[in-house]
Amino acid sequence: MSDQSAVLNDVRRGMIPAHIYNDQELFELEKERVFGRAWVFVAHESEIPNAGDYVVRRVLEDSFIIARDEKGVVRAHFNMCLHRGMQVCRAEMGNASHFRCPYHGWSYRNDGRIVGLPFHQEAYGGEAGFKRKGQRLLPAPNLASYNGLIFISMDPDAQPLEEFLGDFRFYLDYYTRQSPSGIELRGPQRWRIKANWKIGAENFAGDMYHTPQTHTSVVEIGLFREPKAEKRKDGCTYWAGSGGGTTYKLPPGSLDERFRYVGYPQEMVDRMKQMLSEDQLKVVGDDGFMISAASIYPNLSLVHNWPKVADTDQVLPFISIRQWQPISADETEVLSWFAVDAEAPEEFKALSYKAYLMCFGSTGMFEQDDVENWVSLTNTAAGSMARRLLLNSRMGLLEDGTEVVPALGPDQFHGPGVAHTGYAEYNQRELLTRWADHIEQPVKAASTLEVGGAEQVSVSQAGAARPAVPEPADQDRADQARADRLGAQA
Amino acid sequence: MSTPATTPVSGPAARGVTPVDLHSARSVLGAHASRIQRTGRTLPFSDERHLQASQWLVDEAWLLDAQAYEEWLELLTDDIHYLMPVRVTTALGAGYDTSPGMAHFDEDKYSLSRRVARFLTEHAWTEDPPSRLRHHLSNVRTFATDDPDHLVVDSATLLFRNRGDVREGSFVSAGREDLLRRTDEGWKLARRTIMVDDAVMRMQNLAIFL
Ligand code: FES
Ligand SMILES: [Fe+2]
Repeated sequence: MSDQSAVLNDVRRGMIPAHIYNDQELFELEKERVFGRAWVFVAHESEIPNAGDYVVRRVLEDSFIIARDEKGVVRAHFNMCLHRGMQVCRAEMGNASHFRCPYHGWSYRNDGRIVGLPFHQEAYGGEAGFKRKGQRLLPAPNLASYNGLIFISMDPDAQPLEEFLGDFRFYLDYYTRQSPSGIELRGPQRWRIKANWKIGAENFAGDMYHTPQTHTSVVEIGLFREPKAEKRKDGCTYWAGSGGGTTYKLPPGSLDERFRYVGYPQEMVDRMKQMLSEDQLKVVGDDGFMISAASIYPNLSLVHNWPKVADTDQVLPFISIRQWQPISADETEVLSWFAVDAEAPEEFKALSYKAYLMCFGSTGMFEQDDVENWVSLTNTAAGSMARRLLLNSRMGLLEDGTEVVPALGPDQFHGPGVAHTGYAEYNQRELLTRWADHIEQPVKAASTLEVGGAEQVSVSQAGAARPAVPEPADQDRADQARADRLGAQA
Repeated sequence: MSTPATTPVSGPAARGVTPVDLHSARSVLGAHASRIQRTGRTLPFSDERHLQASQWLVDEAWLLDAQAYEEWLELLTDDIHYLMPVRVTTALGAGYDTSPGMAHFDEDKYSLSRRVARFLTEHAWTEDPPSRLRHHLSNVRTFATDDPDHLVVDSATLLFRNRGDVREGSFVSAGREDLLRRTDEGWKLARRTIMVDDAVMRMQNLAIFL
């Protein structure tokens, strides 16, 4: 592996070696050092509301079954049979009390515990040869959730999720905590683009500068009144904790009027006023900023926009959550969910969904033009000329580091972190600086689990989003009998 | 008109999976859509109605290849429901193979007209330069309905899309179920359900129509 320190130093001073957007060696490092330790979003709890519900999601190549077990505990099992390594669950969603491996028929409860091992006695001599008791599908090294958003970290010693998110939680709440019931997710739409995963994350984090140009067409057709250049630069970008985003400047008005301006019905505004903190409300009501796109390091993004959905003047807000899942240095799988407050009126949910489909996702009219740019950029970054080019990502800074527009003061912006109005690349630099810090440091070797041997999964790694309830050991035999009776399989 | 005994019986695509003609009714934005369904068996290929439906689909495919979207829009009724569910991989017997409450397209005339209007601006970058498109159409079969002015038509479509000179082209394979309505201006599309064969689309965006 060649020395990357020159590349990383350039990145840190905001001069981006263009090849980082299509570089095999850096991609190998990203797999180990970015995705080997960061908190990576996998699902939302609303996708698995009932006992036995599951979705199968990946972190890079690793497939995980994200399941709600019979006790309601959310778990993430590595989707590999403990016997010969077959994929245990080959559906991407469903409901199952047990997963049965199609190869030799080992079966697992939805909490991961092994319950069926054909011919345990005859083949292994029972527990003396293979310790079935206590064995479970390998849990994700670390699992946690915030506002129902479930994250996995491949680092068992990762800092707690809430600490990792830090002050970005203040902004995440606008998207995910509009009522006591939180959001519900639909989807995702999934599609692959020949673009490097970092480009989308950077764009959503802070690229207000592209909006008037890239998205001219959606303004021209009367879909969206906001992206006009003058409007976009009046908004601010902010960075806090592990994420940052963009906002739009709202026209003068009261708090209620401003929420209604982007299309929220009064009953939803009333609930938001109950849920959000005084400062969260002041960002809208006093400061006049409405959150729009955002990214959480490394590869999760959020959107909040308010287009027209019919031939009237009424606009409707929608929320989307999306993940830039790396496939290779030049390919990304996009997973794009529609999200809506669970307590919103049904009609609002339907129209908000319509707004989402028209703007973002696989068919979205904003998204279409974004992706065209990113594919083209990735392709151009592959060759030797890109290695001779340092892209200037210092927008917002003079040569000596002075800010072109000073940061907003506490009376101008009530949110945590640092915020600036106007066009700048503060957030893209924040994102890539974290990336450089991770790329620089090797990860510790992962511990291994010997299947059927003396070593057992420790309680702290038991893969439950909430502390698992101690489970009676004598349950195992009864479970196995039940599994065999049901012949259940996923 | 007699039907040969070998004609396949119409019916659901597969056991345990929602019949195609019910997806529109179940979709989030399909409330306004016509509920007319097929009756009986496939019409003989020599049937005048089948010939008309087949020609309509072929002519439409040429319009879509040419990105003649204004003309295409004229072929859609005002109450059109244009639906492309998101397909998901589920266990045999799960009873569904589309993502509940999510689609790629779940469109009415307004949203389709905005999409078309966007392509007609000079700033729809994703199609400037334009893609080279070819909609390959096959497996057309036509069904009568209880209303003589409506036909249900099944077809398979394979779209090849190629952009620029570096990237390989990409494909979308799909089955479609259309509801055609006879109007004073000829047959028009009143409902389309596109059952794409990919769970993960292998195309950078769906700035196309199927
Ligand atoms: S590999 Fe799963 S039972 Fe053998
Ligand atoms: Fe964009």
